[in-house]
Amino acid sequence: MALIEIDNLSVHFDAGDRIVKAVQDVSLQVAARESYGLVGESGSGKSTILRAICGLAPISGGTVRIGGEPLKTPRGKGFSARVQMVFQDPYSSLHPRHTIDRTLSEPLAIHGVGNTDARVVQALRDVALDPTFRFRFPHQLSGGQRQRVAIARALMLQPEILLLDEPTSALDASVQAETLNLLNRLRAERGLTFLMVSHDLAVIDHMCDRVLVMQHGRAVEELARDDLAAARMTTSYARTLFDASADRMLDGA
Amino acid sequence: MTTLTTWLRDHSPSSRLQARAGQAWLGWLRMRRNPLAMVGLTIVAVLLLMAAFAPWIATHDPIAQDLSQRLLRPMTNGHLMGTDEFGRDIFSRVVYGARVTLYIVTLVAVTAPVFGLLVGTVSGYAGGWVDQVLMRITDIFLAFPKLILALALVAVLGPGIENAVLAIALTSWPPYARVARAETLTVRNSDYIAAVRLQGAGPSRIVWGHIMPMCLPSVIIRVTLDMAGVILTAAGLGFLGLGVQPPMPEWGLMISSGRKFLFEQWWVATMPGLAIFVVSLGFNLLGDGLRDVLDPRSTAK
Repeated sequence: MALIEIDNLSVHFDAGDRIVKAVQDVSLQVAARESYGLVGESGSGKSTILRAICGLAPISGGTVRIGGEPLKTPRGKGFSARVQMVFQDPYSSLHPRHTIDRTLSEPLAIHGVGNTDARVVQALRDVALDPTFRFRFPHQLSGGQRQRVAIARALMLQPEILLLDEPTSALDASVQAETLNLLNRLRAERGLTFLMVSHDLAVIDHMCDRVLVMQHGRAVEELARDDLAAARMTTSYARTLFDASADRMLDGA
Repeated sequence: MTTLTTWLRDHSPSSRLQARAGQAWLGWLRMRRNPLAMVGLTIVAVLLLMAAFAPWIATHDPIAQDLSQRLLRPMTNGHLMGTDEFGRDIFSRVVYGARVTLYIVTLVAVTAPVFGLLVGTVSGYAGGWVDQVLMRITDIFLAFPKLILALALVAVLGPGIENAVLAIALTSWPPYARVARAETLTVRNSDYIAAVRLQGAGPSRIVWGHIMPMCLPSVIIRVTLDMAGVILTAAGLGFLGLGVQPPMPEWGLMISSGRKFLFEQWWVATMPGLAIFVVSLGFNLLGDGLRDVLDPRSTAK
């Protein structure tokens, strides 16, 4: 049985005089410990799927099941302990007036987990940040360091599933590779399941076992990693995307 | 001193206290670059000292009457600012009046902004009908002229310093609620609020721990800028005989009693007027300086 099962998910936003159909009838299944990618241009609805899973966007149709259980609204603390998200922009995802310590200990306080000091220091070590960063404010860190803190925060509750919303697109190239390698290492160490959004096939190729290509809120084509590497896509849109990032993928491989 | 500053400037603080103190130190350095803000801070500090050490600074008893010494010019018989119509030393009364002013200002500053902040953040975060109800109540309070509403309240409650404070507080919270709500609307959809919601935090934790810290700077700035208005409203109520009661030395009351002699004995009304002017100016300058220090948009770098 798949860990994440999404059946015919639709997400519609009411924009006053019209209805914006951000996601239409998308189905996908992610097995435990798998890394699944969602790829497409901006506005294709890939981030909206993640936000719908978290309850940050409304589910207008279809079902989402985590470990066989349908999602409840509101999601509740049990959901928080299983599923966490890393946001795209590390400059806006950390509270500007909280120290790193406060940011990391907040989930522990919410869930009544003790031994805060040791856990926070360990969490910083896990994402390869020096414990001396603990009492700094976000504005005293670089973009890559901030994203590490955001990853550490997502892992504080030891979730099984990590939703990654373009976790590296706001970072420059060298830091991007570092962050992706960190994520791969953490996945291997902790047996995490990734559902990752990117507009960059090179990133997806580096990270994911399977990938779903999306366009205009609809699923276009699902590809396994081998198919992607061998350029065995059947739809012309997937091929266009592939051609756009093929040169960098070869560099990586 | 040098060990203290290196401790404050440490880029890798080793405790919550040190991190907080370091940020405060940076704020102080930014503030020190603004000379006008330092003037404001000095005025407010002098006011605090004057209130604290009033018995030692005052040269006479502020309520002791001596009709043989009435309406003396400034600098005669040891009366620095002259005497009023009952022969009371005006300088001593101005010094003791600092206590009353500070008492009113402090009480208003700890009630109205706190209430306004609470109403504004809850309204902004909850949205929907809660927002509608709270904001319409705010609108109703805003629709009345401040002084008239305060007058009506004092008339109902009876004159006196506590009632004056209550009336001022009840009329001055709506702007804070507005400011806090506007600030809340800009942060409520940000990723860091989404992140903490995703961690399972309830609305009270989000409003208290995550939204209020973002609204606090603009509210604090607003409070210091409004302090001048509070002093003037308190003085206005005193002037109309609805605030502090005689013989307590209060600046507004002193101006009121001095107006009968405004043309012949100008100093009776002018001295407390100058005090109100200087202190109001001090709070305004301080508020402007705090804007530079506390505004999150200017400290982002």
